[in-house]
Amino acid sequence: MVTKTKGMGELFKEVINKGLCTLCGACIGDCPYTVFYRGKIRMLDFCNREEGHCYEYCPRTHTDLDEISNKLLGVPFSGAGIGTVKDVFMARSRDSKVRSKAQYGGTVTTLLLLALENGLINAAITTKTSDEKLPESCVAHSAAEVMESAGSSYMAYPVLEAVNRIPKESKDRLGIVVTPCQAVALAKMRLNPPTQRNSLDNLRLSIGLFCTWALDYGRFYEFLKNNVDLAKVNKFDIPPPPANKFDVYMGQEIKSFPLDEVRNYRMATCAYCLDMTAEFTDISVGSVEGVEGWNTVIVRTQRGMDIIADAKKMGRLDIKDLPDQSLTHLKEAALNKRARAVQEIVKKTGDKNELMYIDISDNLKQKLLGQRVTVQGGH
Amino acid sequence: MSNIDIDAPGSNQLFIGNEAMARGALEAGVGWASAYPGTPSSEILSSLAEVAKKRDIYVEWSVNEKVAIEAGAAASFAGLRSLVAMKMNGLNVVIDFLSTIILSGIGKKGLVLMVGDDPAAHSSSNETDSRPVSKWLDIPLVEPGDFQEAKDMMPYLYDISEEFGTICILRSVTRVAHARGNIRLGEIPKVVHKARFEQYYDPAAPMPTPIMCIPSSFRHMFQHVRIDKIREKFETSPYNKYVGPEKPDLLIVTAGSGWLYSQDAVNALKAEDRIGILKLGTLWPLPEKLVKSCLSKADKVLFIEETDPFLEGVIMEFAAGFSPESKRNLFYGNHTRHLNSFGELTPDAVIKAITGVLDIKYQPRDAEYMKKVESVPQQYVMDRLLTFCPGCPHRASFWAIKDALAMDGRHGFVTGDIGCYTMALGPAGFFQTRTHQCMGAGAGLANGFGQLRRFGFDQPVVSVVGDSTFYHSIIPALVNGVHNHSDFTLVILDNGATAMTGFQPHPGTGLTAMGEPAQQISMENICRAIGARVEVCDPFDLKNTTRTMLDLIEQKEGARVAIMRRTCELVRQKKEEKPYKMKIDPEKCLGEDCGCNRLCTRVFRCPGLIWDPVAGKTKIDEVICNECGVCADICPEGAITKEAVA
Ligand SMILES: Cc1cc2nc3c(=O)[nH]c(=O)nc-3n(C[C@H](O)[C@H](O)[C@H](O)COP(=O)(O)OP(=O)(O)OC[C@H]3O[C@@H](n4cnc5c(N)ncnc54)[C@H](O)[C@@H]3O)c2cc1C
Ligand code: SF4
Ligand code: SF4
Repeated sequence: MVTKTKGMGELFKEVINKGLCTLCGACIGDCPYTVFYRGKIRMLDFCNREEGHCYEYCPRTHTDLDEISNKLLGVPFSGAGIGTVKDVFMARSRDSKVRSKAQYGGTVTTLLLLALENGLINAAITTKTSDEKLPESCVAHSAAEVMESAGSSYMAYPVLEAVNRIPKESKDRLGIVVTPCQAVALAKMRLNPPTQRNSLDNLRLSIGLFCTWALDYGRFYEFLKNNVDLAKVNKFDIPPPPANKFDVYMGQEIKSFPLDEVRNYRMATCAYCLDMTAEFTDISVGSVEGVEGWNTVIVRTQRGMDIIADAKKMGRLDIKDLPDQSLTHLKEAALNKRARAVQEIVKKTGDKNELMYIDISDNLKQKLLGQRVTVQGGH
Repeated sequence: MSNIDIDAPGSNQLFIGNEAMARGALEAGVGWASAYPGTPSSEILSSLAEVAKKRDIYVEWSVNEKVAIEAGAAASFAGLRSLVAMKMNGLNVVIDFLSTIILSGIGKKGLVLMVGDDPAAHSSSNETDSRPVSKWLDIPLVEPGDFQEAKDMMPYLYDISEEFGTICILRSVTRVAHARGNIRLGEIPKVVHKARFEQYYDPAAPMPTPIMCIPSSFRHMFQHVRIDKIREKFETSPYNKYVGPEKPDLLIVTAGSGWLYSQDAVNALKAEDRIGILKLGTLWPLPEKLVKSCLSKADKVLFIEETDPFLEGVIMEFAAGFSPESKRNLFYGNHTRHLNSFGELTPDAVIKAITGVLDIKYQPRDAEYMKKVESVPQQYVMDRLLTFCPGCPHRASFWAIKDALAMDGRHGFVTGDIGCYTMALGPAGFFQTRTHQCMGAGAGLANGFGQLRRFGFDQPVVSVVGDSTFYHSIIPALVNGVHNHSDFTLVILDNGATAMTGFQPHPGTGLTAMGEPAQQISMENICRAIGARVEVCDPFDLKNTTRTMLDLIEQKEGARVAIMRRTCELVRQKKEEKPYKMKIDPEKCLGEDCGCNRLCTRVFRCPGLIWDPVAGKTKIDEVICNECGVCADICPEGAITKEAVA
């Protein structure tokens, strides 16, 4: 496997032009040569460098998962579907205002609000849904701004561009909410911090979202525009399995689309993604199978443990044990995503030794290649 | 610019060729001059414009060559000597009118068309030789061999034009038009110009008729009769001459710039006693008797001509009709590959041609010497990129166009046109321009590309034109686009000047050639009246211009227009102080690091910015920078700052 860092030309050749870009945003924001426009990363000019941070940080270029895991979590990359776990439970916000605005239990929003309040962070980088119902990045300095970001847009958005835009001198203590691929890019940025921009030393809290796949920004938005009155939309939801639908809330009215139809708009690159539970963050949050209004929470780091302890102490979260069956299913689903991704990659490269961007141990590779997978995988 | 009006008959003055021709027109008593600017012809009209009021003549920059010649013909119809000037590209535009005025004939007073050719295409899209048009359309054509002739041929040609009632062409080339030489002045007559259209004047018609080209076949025959009569006249023209021995080993036949080159070559070869030169000033109709008598002097004949082998063709064709008893010459020239049929003549090329025909030894300087000669000026002249001036709005416009096309991502492209912005074929305009033809062609091509959606074509098409070009030849293309639902974006770079040819006014500038105020013809009103969506933006506002471009490109169908308006930097300078004081903070400048890699000096490349390889930072070249402020918005690090000058 080639591990050399390359430049922007190769980033476009190997990732973007091949449809592998995840829209994490690691390659844009402070680089004058690349921009995000209408769902695509575009090259305005060729920067002509043989090596660049864009290539280095991209989650779809060579990624040594053991190295990242060792450095951030203190253990090698976990073979288990849900990664390294310090604690796992279900939770929801005690604040009904948060719950009513949030996607499920409002755990993410609650933790960000708490971190702002107790000074752990003073800025949260989030993805909020704009008036046009498109995702956009937000650097929230206030509780009100964090509240505005509550709720999920299922369209991918390159939120890390907001990280790249933070001035080098900034002393902001940051919290961030990311999807799994964004978490990988963020991890790569933290491992080899750029010298020319903010080094992320001040990153104090990273919250990951569970993710099976994300929807294509451009194509799915067209679909929405043609099928619902966007002005009325106040929430999107993919209820946990076995619902198998995509709900668009418009006040009292809910319009449901079969998930199979919506899947047509997911990003092709998600098929090659190993991670369902955002393994390289402090805390990962998702839904709970069969339990409405609650979140599954996986704590992975000491920082994560600390803020959860705070939340308990201050009475911000209701916390319960996750039913065994839910945990088992979550693990199965996550492992299924991992194994399917590796098998899809091999199908694409046509070579069992060519895993594109992924660098994992041989053992794990063999295990994942041998795993029986279900074709679709839930969401 | 010299004063072509100086009242000193008999004195010698230093004029460039174009000024000599303008002076010649004054000495011929012209009352009208119209033109469209184009190198190498522009100075004829601009120098006449300077004296127009004093001499009580009318001078105009016309919107294009076709209007220029038609308007000029009207002056002739109404009894004024009339001069129309253009470059060879313009000649192509006026062919249609020429093809009828040779049939109708002119008015009572002479009509001369001056065409400036540009061999080697120094400042042109092509190097077409205009001379063949004379044979093709039956138009008398003369060409000066030196500066004096450039002046003297004007009155001569007006006399011919009037005597025979036909339009005549004076052809010149860049090296005559733009070089400076001594000429002896003649007198400028005091003419009181009086215009009136005599409706029943027509020397060709047996009875009074309108000035018209029909019955065409009959008039065609008449033009041939006319041409034969002029041929007779040309036999004794003072502009044709033979120099050399009575029985030379070689006869050179030449004209125009070839005349001086041929004399130099014969001199250099010290072959005056072996080579004779027939220099023709009246090229068409060919003075056949003169030519035949000269051909009989020598066995070998060599044609020395710039670009096309015109005389070579017509003379060989003429000689092919000689009776068997006549002398049979051996002809050399382009057809024997002794000379090229492209590019400019050089003394070396002429010498090489001669020594290729005659066994004369010539020791040219060695290659080392040539290298030395070439290196001398390089010590004094900086090696510079062919680019827009510092502070030029075009650089900003193309930056915005580039960004918009890249962001759109459908591999859109620019169809180019003729003006300074032609440089956008290269790094000056970030290689955005992908086609380059003649004036107006970019918009025509865009019309075509924009119709190909039905065949799967999905790229955005952007036609970029200048303001002068817009009035010259874009309007019909836009009408066509709107009418036929073509899908393209027209960008008009409105810098308020015909910058490439020397800042001639045009219909949008609110000034005439004679310096009088004129109604400013609004291009946005024209475009809107045609039915196109029009957006006006300031290219120095890069963000907004890019956004506007994107919005236009993304429009689903129809011809739409962006007017990028900003005064040409060279015009602004004459009127205003520099708007900003530019500074670079070396601490912030990233230089060659990731995150910039010299975006300003490597991609943007305004000559006002220089890369200091030692410091690894960009610097402002304070002498060259025009402090426009655009680079401050390019720099991703905010290292370049602009401070408004109070
Ligand atoms: C693309 C996508 C796919 C997902 N897929 C799954 C899944 O398969 N299974 C599952 O259990 N959960 C999934 N989730 C997570 C789920 O939707 C909730 O975000 C999560 O459970 C947290 O719930 P909450 O009530 O705490 O959220 P909230 O308190 O409402 O907070 C939501 C947070 O998500 C962030 N966010 C919103 N949209 C985006 C986006 N497009 N990209 C990045 N961040 C965003 C916001 O910044 C906000 O802070 C997905 C989320 C996204 C964005
Ligand atoms: S995955 Fe992220 S870093 Fe890679 S190309 Fe896409 S946006 Fe850029
Ligand atoms: S301000 Fe910048 S862009 Fe403008 S002329 Fe000076 S160096 Fe060039």
